[in-house]
Amino acid sequence: MDGLVAWVESTPLSQGIVASRVIWPACEIVHFIGLTLVIGIAGFFDLRLMGFLKRVPVSAARDLMPLAIAGFLMNLLTGATFFIGKPHQYVGNVAWWAKMFCLLVAGLNAMFFETTVGARTLNLGAGDDTPRSAKIVGAVSLASWLGVLYWGRMLPYIGSAF
Amino acid sequence: MTAFAAWLQDSALGVWTRESPSIWAYPTVLTLHTVGLGILVGANAVIDFRLLGFAPRLPIAALAPLYRFMWAGFVMNAVTGVMLFASDAAAKAVQPIFYVKLALIALALATTAMIRTSVARAETVRAAGAAPRATLGRFAALSLLLWAAAITAGRLMAYL
Repeated sequence: MDGLVAWVESTPLSQGIVASRVIWPACEIVHFIGLTLVIGIAGFFDLRLMGFLKRVPVSAARDLMPLAIAGFLMNLLTGATFFIGKPHQYVGNVAWWAKMFCLLVAGLNAMFFETTVGARTLNLGAGDDTPRSAKIVGAVSLASWLGVLYWGRMLPYIGSAF
Repeated sequence: MTAFAAWLQDSALGVWTRESPSIWAYPTVLTLHTVGLGILVGANAVIDFRLLGFAPRLPIAALAPLYRFMWAGFVMNAVTGVMLFASDAAAKAVQPIFYVKLALIALALATTAMIRTSVARAETVRAAGAAPRATLGRFAALSLLLWAAAITAGRLMAYL
């Protein structure tokens, strides 16, 4: 791991990110806007799966998901920029690993939804309650994305990065 | 203003938020400020993008419960925002970007409130058989821009 960190930090890309006064703050701004899209749009769909906002047809709530994916891609790109800039701050940081774990849970949970529960849920219309399996998937999704946010914000305080 | 800021910074609230070594002090207050931002601006984005023409099958009237989430997010951020300001009031009170952020939030809130009233009116009008107003999309775009600008100003407080 130390070898990887040293190699990344020796690359011109990493050094360019750290040397710039603009890149880091600009990426933070994009990262925060991206997180509102993920929490807002994916959270909206999660709430419907959990049985809230019942007047919304489930498949219609899902129509906004490309925006959540756009927010996620914004954050993947800016997050990768942070990591490439200062990898040593993250690989030894327990909060960063907790954040990656929450991301993994969110991803596996979404894959589980797409391959199993999803088909049984998307035909539910306005006023229909969701099955218990969908409620669990929605709650796990919401909790794991809030976990991603929590551990990300705690990076400087729990893992003493920065 | 500087006298008030100095008093606030030395108040029990300011001292606790800034100096308590507890994870529940500054780190948690800051994290809740980010969670509240995600809820407030995120719920706003759902309605704004719908009004811009995304997800046309989404019934606009059914989105009304989202305003409760926005309120919850706003209250969270008003409370945590006061605490964060108190922790560093003397410096923040003379930071121009802080006032830019407050102005952007005020404008964004006004736009959000305007959209809410217009949507309610449009629903009534449509029930009477008329077409919905096209200007709602422009307000929605303005709302997204203002909230994104408020986030930008907030982030820049750490740099400017």
